Amino acid sequence: MTDVSRRQLLAGAAGLAAVGGLAAACGSGSSPASSGSATAAAGTPKRGGNFRLGVTGGGSKDIMDGQNIITKPDQARLVSAFETLLLFDENYQLTTNGLAESVTQDNPKQYTIKLRQGIEFQNGKTMTADDVIYSFQRIGTQKNGLTGYAATATMDIGAMKKLDQYTVRLPLKTPDSTVPQTLGSYTFTIVPTGYQAYPHPQIGTGAYKLKSFTPGQQSVHERNPNYWRTGEPYFDTVTITDFSNSTAQVNGLLGGQIDAMTDLPASQVKVVQARGMGALVSKTGGWIPICMAIDMPPFDDVRVRQAMRLIVDRKGLLEQVFSGYGFVGNDLYAPFDPGYDHSLPQREQDIEQAKSLLKAAGHANLAVDLHTTNGAAGMVETATVFANQAQAAGVKINVLNDPNYYGNQYLKLAFSVDFWGTRAYLNQVQQGSLPSSPYNETHWPPKSGTGSNFESLYNQALAETDATKRIAIMHEMQQAEYNVGGYIIPCFGGLIDGYAANVKGLKPSKGTLNLDSFGHGYRTIWFS
Amino acid sequence: MSRFRPTGVWGFILRRLLLGIVVLILVSILVFLATQALPGDPARAILGREANPASLAALRRQLHLDQPVFQQYLTWVTGLLHGNLGRSLEAQEPVSTLIGSKLVNSAVLVALAAVLSIPLSIAIGAWSAFKREKAFDQASSNLLLALAALPEFVVALVLVILFATTVFHVLPAISTVPPGSRPWNNWVALILPVLTLMIAVAPYVARIMRASMIEVLESDYVEMARLKGLPERTVLIRHALPNALGPVFQVIALNLAYLAGGIIVVEFVFNYSGIGGAITEAVVNHDLPVIQALAMLIAALYVVLNLLADVATILVTPKLRTRL
Repeated sequence: MTDVSRRQLLAGAAGLAAVGGLAAACGSGSSPASSGSATAAAGTPKRGGNFRLGVTGGGSKDIMDGQNIITKPDQARLVSAFETLLLFDENYQLTTNGLAESVTQDNPKQYTIKLRQGIEFQNGKTMTADDVIYSFQRIGTQKNGLTGYAATATMDIGAMKKLDQYTVRLPLKTPDSTVPQTLGSYTFTIVPTGYQAYPHPQIGTGAYKLKSFTPGQQSVHERNPNYWRTGEPYFDTVTITDFSNSTAQVNGLLGGQIDAMTDLPASQVKVVQARGMGALVSKTGGWIPICMAIDMPPFDDVRVRQAMRLIVDRKGLLEQVFSGYGFVGNDLYAPFDPGYDHSLPQREQDIEQAKSLLKAAGHANLAVDLHTTNGAAGMVETATVFANQAQAAGVKINVLNDPNYYGNQYLKLAFSVDFWGTRAYLNQVQQGSLPSSPYNETHWPPKSGTGSNFESLYNQALAETDATKRIAIMHEMQQAEYNVGGYIIPCFGGLIDGYAANVKGLKPSKGTLNLDSFGHGYRTIWFS
Repeated sequence: MSRFRPTGVWGFILRRLLLGIVVLILVSILVFLATQALPGDPARAILGREANPASLAALRRQLHLDQPVFQQYLTWVTGLLHGNLGRSLEAQEPVSTLIGSKLVNSAVLVALAAVLSIPLSIAIGAWSAFKREKAFDQASSNLLLALAALPEFVVALVLVILFATTVFHVLPAISTVPPGSRPWNNWVALILPVLTLMIAVAPYVARIMRASMIEVLESDYVEMARLKGLPERTVLIRHALPNALGPVFQVIALNLAYLAGGIIVVEFVFNYSGIGGAITEAVVNHDLPVIQALAMLIAALYVVLNLLADVATILVTPKLRTRL
């Protein structure tokens, strides 16, 4: 009698999961879930090779933690070995292509997670409900200081229950329809019980196992022969090298010492393409806002805020800061969320109106300091370009580039520049637009007048299981932000990465991570 | 009243060593005070976005930042003398582990550049002086002047374009040293960085050699040697060259010490894992122990190199020994 082998079972399960449903709570308008191992239509994938990636932004403080990142090299390493329950596809829509077969919302305050069966960690141990509970507990423990902690605020992790080997009940403290988005965010991964960060062994469910790691320099990752997605991954090894600057990265790519690089400077796109190599331009939802604190002068007067939003030349800024790669913004975030309010008219530059608003507010010749830093590509440039543009309206902006920006003044400044990655609307609100948010630069919402009911609207949206009604609430929230909010969001700058001619399978992605989420953890890309 | 004063070459070396130690002590005080004066709070810089009063206080205690400055200085210096360079704030490991292999990497680059460029520059300088105002002299002087005027960054990038990415594809464009391996395991990758450093150093050594050689060739004893009928080769190598080398050692010492700092640019362009990158990263991150340790190491290198240059000058110029 022949047993069904584990591989056959997983292949069958993946096929079934493709047809399986997403809960209504996963957000309306989600595209149909694609099959388990979607490969690009760029020829047949071939096995073999050492994929060499160059990443900037790291240093001696590099870490490797399945559930935490500080810099981009940390992201690159995390995705090689750790995976999430749900996955965002290239259009930033949630799919059930991850470790979970399904995530259903039983009632506004309870979710049930069914795991895919037979998935093993890289040490051979099967992934079960116990591991899921440990993973949630680890993220939900405040003193661990992990990236995903703030998103666990509504979860009652202490009351999580193992229903059987592969099923977990997740009760909530308060209703929250954004839980599936949280389960898809790349640091909310499933780790084995007892897992700890490097230098402890790094064991996940991912396609590559960590072989060696020297923080600030290089890490080597080996193919996981027991990986649960049949056929993947294709490379034998992945080598991730830290770079201190993009000049060396580009030279390394052109000279053939690396096969891909993150954050290709816009000016080098033509150079790289002229040599037959690829530039992956992704119009992501990452944004660099100019933040006005709505409770600090002069921005406590709404007319000043509205004037500043009218001063910015959005297309011009996109051209100057991002060389045109990206798209214009309308002072609202989460552009890919199905609930994004496209009906709000696109704001245009209107210097005359801005001047008259400032005059009416008594700030005809406004002079103000704008704080920025080199936290992400484009932050300093955005400040300088905006300061230039403001001169046309008689506003004098003094740009202060502070290396200690994230020190004691952060979140206490009247006028500053910050950076964010792609998120769904309600998840972003929770991170930056509530009094309890960890990174609320604008000190939104106001205590009275338009927008003062923002937090109660948010809670209603979380509790609303009907997608259409929820979107209507989100529109109301966005209208308040659009009219009297503290963010100036001129554009969404996008990500540009470079790759060698023989690297196949990369697709532009709307998500937060570079290189199409690093080739989905280096498993959907191969050498031709 | 007698005064003990060691004499002779060994006495000279001993006196200079003692002076060097005094210099290093002064430098250590200055380095320590300078890093204390850096704006920003190291505890906050480490904790970043997650800083809160309780964790800040705990970290400050752990880093001895709550002690008086003088006491912090003593703790640091005694540590240095015991070979304990401190603990990196960023990397959470001893500074010696962090920079150990990087020191080796940088030392290899500097040593290779020195060993290859100095004899070459001396030869070029001597020959230019000998064939003064003729074709070789004109060509080499102008070429070296042009190379000296170019910043290292430009030289490095031109070499990369020429040999690695655009014109020819024979050499690697970057020279990353994988952790655990040594620079000489991949010596091809060292060619362009070493060439850049050689071009940085050669013009100065060659020009001072040329000037010194010209002066020597005009001197009485050289004329005497020629009049005695000695072959020109013997005149050049046995009589002129050793006398011309005196001032050149000083310039060599200065250039080598410059290389120790100027290597930052080369490591930047070639992604070479050395102390240049380590010190820039440490300054940006307020990693005080690393900054202090590297500053002291570079100062010590300057002192040693200058001492060696002075001794070499003395040895080559017997006339100076009478006044030791």
